[in-house]
Amino acid sequence: MASVSELYDVGWEEMRDKLRKWREDNSRNSEQIVDVGEELISDHASKLGDDVWIIYEQVMIAALDCSRDDLALTCLQELRKQFPDSHRVKRLTGMRLEALERYDEANKHYDAILEDDPTNTAARKRKISILKAQGKNGEAIRELNEYLEQFVGDQEAWHELSELYINEHDYGKAAFCLEELMMTNPHNHLYCEQYAEVKYTQGGLENLELSRKYFSQALRLNNRNMRALFGLYMSASHIAASPKVSAKVKKDNIKYAAWAANQINRAYKVSHKPRPSDTGTHIATVKESANTNCCILGRGRPSTNVGFSIADADM
Amino acid sequence: MAPELLLDSNIRLWVVLPIVFITFLVGVIRHYVSILLQSDKKLTLEQVSDSQVLIRSRILRENGKYIPKQSFLMRKFYFNNQEDGFFKKTKRKVVPPSPMTDPSMLTDMMKGNVTNVLPMILIGGWINWTFSGFVTTKVPFPLTLRFKPMLQQGIELLSLDASWVSSASWYFLNVFGLRSMYSLILGQDNGADQSRIMQEQMSGAAMAMPADTNKAFKAEWEALELTDHQWALESVEDDLMGRELDFDGMFSKELPSGIF
Repeated sequence: MASVSELYDVGWEEMRDKLRKWREDNSRNSEQIVDVGEELISDHASKLGDDVWIIYEQVMIAALDCSRDDLALTCLQELRKQFPDSHRVKRLTGMRLEALERYDEANKHYDAILEDDPTNTAARKRKISILKAQGKNGEAIRELNEYLEQFVGDQEAWHELSELYINEHDYGKAAFCLEELMMTNPHNHLYCEQYAEVKYTQGGLENLELSRKYFSQALRLNNRNMRALFGLYMSASHIAASPKVSAKVKKDNIKYAAWAANQINRAYKVSHKPRPSDTGTHIATVKESANTNCCILGRGRPSTNVGFSIADADM
Repeated sequence: MAPELLLDSNIRLWVVLPIVFITFLVGVIRHYVSILLQSDKKLTLEQVSDSQVLIRSRILRENGKYIPKQSFLMRKFYFNNQEDGFFKKTKRKVVPPSPMTDPSMLTDMMKGNVTNVLPMILIGGWINWTFSGFVTTKVPFPLTLRFKPMLQQGIELLSLDASWVSSASWYFLNVFGLRSMYSLILGQDNGADQSRIMQEQMSGAAMAMPADTNKAFKAEWEALELTDHQWALESVEDDLMGRELDFDGMFSKELPSGIF
């Protein structure tokens, strides 16, 4: 099997820089990391200097993802030799035990870290991940809530909690978590979009209006967010088709939906891809059905989640 | 009229420059010594948690306009409610750490003194003894005669202008002047930055950290009471639809294949 450096004709410096870029971007391309990292540490470990330790950590976590227990064990042993009393290395030991499904031992490891240093966030988060891996969603949610009471600023944790709530279909609480994220990152269009999707799923006229507003905000922050564009179209058409709205609101929403549909058509043109033939007829249907006061997609109330699945909202 | 003295250029070579070097090197050594002697500060869970709560409240004040009004009010109520709002309810135990009773602060103070004040005194004295008896340099602004005994140590000339100073004062000038050099070379927050440390000591005596938490809570409570919710998304659709969306270059990039 050809090595990475032969396949791509790169030297060890480029491989090391690539690994650093993946570290900074926090990308989870474990197979690539294992390929590049394994060659780097087996052939060029001496040239890396002090970088080698963080590369060991990175490769070890990637190896656990790919089920490469041998590689993970080697990395872990090197790290343990170099940093015998480190909490960070203990956490990695715990992670390896988790990968081998020895959850009780892993838990013991994490408890030991926490006894020594109660402010250690990494150990707490690993314990919650263990609960999640064991499928105990309810307990995981409870523990995560307690964790967040102490460490209110941990954005990763808020995001994880919102995902857990979505899985439990508790959309109200998921919206709360996403609001926290939106406040701390007001310019991140992805959080706005996820929030809008959750609101759309919750349903009800108010929530639909909110979702339309937040889809627009996501578009304002990033003009190219196609998902938000479709979301805007869907929410506006839904409101327009609802029987309970006033005429002015209906008119406004039809205008919004028409604009969104226009933009979608433009996007298809720009991409030189043939647009699906029902977008154009869809808009006509919206206008018609809004005029004749019946709901578009054949369902009774706008509160049903019509084909806009939150479950694949992971990005 | 101030007499213009012509100083021997050897003074420049053998006095002015060596003092600069000595001061600089001593500062660098002080920095590394302070790093070695640093004790780690262990934060308690409560302190970490409190600092994060304060950050969250501040973010609520600043960015609350991005979330719906209802959510903002809900959070404001949680923090500020009369009976059981967080800021009203939580009172942290206040133990002002006096230097005498708190052993870790005592050792910190001692270490601070040893690394900073002592070398300054020693080196200042040594320089005064070595480079004494002659005029080193002239300060560019006129000084009154009262400064003479202070700045002209070792020079016994009654009629000499107070602007001409001895080497000890040149040393002190350097200590303060090289501060910016230290930030350049050692990065901010370095251990050689003496005047900053002295400022901290002066204001640090008046400021006790745990009492700060209660006061900080009170300050946040007041600030949050005053904040109103101006929803940033009032007219977002109209803003958005004012112009066409920018799809420039959206589909033109080739997808990366492989690792490199």
